[in-house]
Amino acid sequence: MLKGADIVLKCLRAEGVELVFGYPGGAIMPLYDALEGSGVRHILTRHEQGAVFAAEGYARVTGEVGVAMATSGPGATNLVTGIADAKMDSVPLVCITGQVRSALIGTDAFQETDVFGVTLSLTKWSRLVRTIDEIPEVIAEGFHWARSGRPGPVVIDIPTDMLKAKKEFSGPVKFTPQPRPAEAKAEGGFTDTIVTMLQQSSKPVALVGAGAKLSGAIPQLRRLLDDLKVPTFATVHGLGAVPPQAPYYLGMVGMHGTRAANMALHETDLLLVFGARLDDRVTGDATRFAPYAKIVHFEIDPGQLDRVRPCDLPVIGNLAATVPALQAELRRHSLPDFSAWRALACGHERAELDPRGLAEPTIRFLDELFSRLPADNVVIADVGQHQMWAAQRYRSSSPRGFITSGGLGAMGFALPAAVGVQLAKPDTCVLCVSGDGGFQMNIQELATVHRLGLPIKMVIIDNKYLGMVRQWQQLFYQRNYAETDLSDNPDFVEIAKAYKIHSFRLNENVMREFPVSNQTGDEIDRFLQSPEPELLVFDCAPEANVFPMVPAGAALSEMLLEEEPSQ
Amino acid sequence: MQAFMIGYRNTQGTLMRILNAASRRALDLSSVQAEAAEHDHQVTLVLDVNQKQVGQLYREWHSIADVIAVSSAATRTAPWTAPHPPLGVGVEESRAAARA
Repeated sequence: MLKGADIVLKCLRAEGVELVFGYPGGAIMPLYDALEGSGVRHILTRHEQGAVFAAEGYARVTGEVGVAMATSGPGATNLVTGIADAKMDSVPLVCITGQVRSALIGTDAFQETDVFGVTLSLTKWSRLVRTIDEIPEVIAEGFHWARSGRPGPVVIDIPTDMLKAKKEFSGPVKFTPQPRPAEAKAEGGFTDTIVTMLQQSSKPVALVGAGAKLSGAIPQLRRLLDDLKVPTFATVHGLGAVPPQAPYYLGMVGMHGTRAANMALHETDLLLVFGARLDDRVTGDATRFAPYAKIVHFEIDPGQLDRVRPCDLPVIGNLAATVPALQAELRRHSLPDFSAWRALACGHERAELDPRGLAEPTIRFLDELFSRLPADNVVIADVGQHQMWAAQRYRSSSPRGFITSGGLGAMGFALPAAVGVQLAKPDTCVLCVSGDGGFQMNIQELATVHRLGLPIKMVIIDNKYLGMVRQWQQLFYQRNYAETDLSDNPDFVEIAKAYKIHSFRLNENVMREFPVSNQTGDEIDRFLQSPEPELLVFDCAPEANVFPMVPAGAALSEMLLEEEPSQ
Repeated sequence: MQAFMIGYRNTQGTLMRILNAASRRALDLSSVQAEAAEHDHQVTLVLDVNQKQVGQLYREWHSIADVIAVSSAATRTAPWTAPHPPLGVGVEESRAAARA
């Protein structure tokens, strides 16, 4: 006879789970009681939000299902932001929450919340377990939905009496999904259609999104793009999918994308979208998005089609199948010479590679950091101006090398996510870049970093403002900096020391020398190579802005390239 | 106004997810009727929707784990109202449109 808690852990092990992130409490205590000897390692964070972001970081970098656990009531509700984040960014996540005992459900008992109801619109699937007998099937089905198709979050809510109950356990089960409506794989028909469209186009482009990574089809996609050699760009989640040194690669596209990418996307007559959902950060004003183009949309989730702009040809399926099929067809045909178009697109603007203005020292600092990273690295960015600068300057070709909260834009994501990434990749240099606002939202996870001795390299871009909001206030609200002043920040160096983490500060003035001084270079090298966790606080200009910028409601072609004098 | 019939397995939360697809778009649920239908269940919703929303709703309902079938009583269906373009008809239509 096994307790429900033991059955849960055995089923997790059967799903390949070795690591869970969580925070204990009353209702989930029986599960914690069963951890020892279960083969599942638990990582204690200092807030449930830290746990779920850490589970996400683990999942984002490995492609495996991340698991977070929390108790009922406030423990469960503290997971909600992370669940929403996983939904938006297609992260496979299973959250196990304790619930009050069955007889109390619905009575507003102590620490009772309807987490099933709260997370209904944020989850792919969820269950409130009613009997101990259900546990194996529920866990198997939950993991299936977390992983399959477009990955996403699942919540399994288990009453505490079910965790304590006992039954004979015959072993974990496999889940077999019920038949779904027939899937049209857009068989051979789509390939010759696309070939025809390419032969009829003169300005084709390719957009690569997160789906390229999630599909595991990066090598196939790179071969296809090498064959096509059309101007290519990426969403923030597609960074790294295309090697940045590829001669046809134009960088990131969208609200803070490169001018070259945005102009190419605006002028194209044929847009091939690979695993991107055409989020409004990418399209700008949807009514003026790619105004001259036909759109071919490769996408695994039919729900993402035609959301913003109807596509001319949907190609539904996994890129791992559809991309090789297209490449095989392409190689049987000749295509027009796109070299003139490619030269035009790539030559649109190269000066943007040279940083200017108040942001120049910060951008050069990020360039210096990135250039000194070891080959095996992962960069995690929080949300804000630093995130966009980091995305603009990121130059790795590691598909899962740049991790950030994209769709939800959840501040406080980076530090706990870095915990998950470092645990998943213990030998990898993990660089965590945050702003002074976002870092404080989960600053308590410095305790987790210290306890585990995770050699995370943490950077705070400290401008003493809620920077991105301040930028919008400067540009669109007549400099009315309402509630964005963080000039009374604590001394982050002293806070890190209190958590027994080595920390130091650099002022942006050190980046005004180019190349940087040997002293500064040595400090950065020491920081990156340290076997211990480290925090570097970089003081930057309070009113530095991120450019280019496509204002809200503007077309991609209407981007601001630099500040107007009056701004 | 348009009536949508969604067949589903009556598992935890499935009906709520079906209704949420409409409510999250601020659509009034003018009429909701759910009942057992042979081995499974069916809910009939009457909604005031535009053409773009029809396609979005179809695709979102089909993405729900235990939804089996979606149909509409509308006389004119929007493009891509199936979960995926049907193998035969849809691909040909899209091919013709794309080559236009």
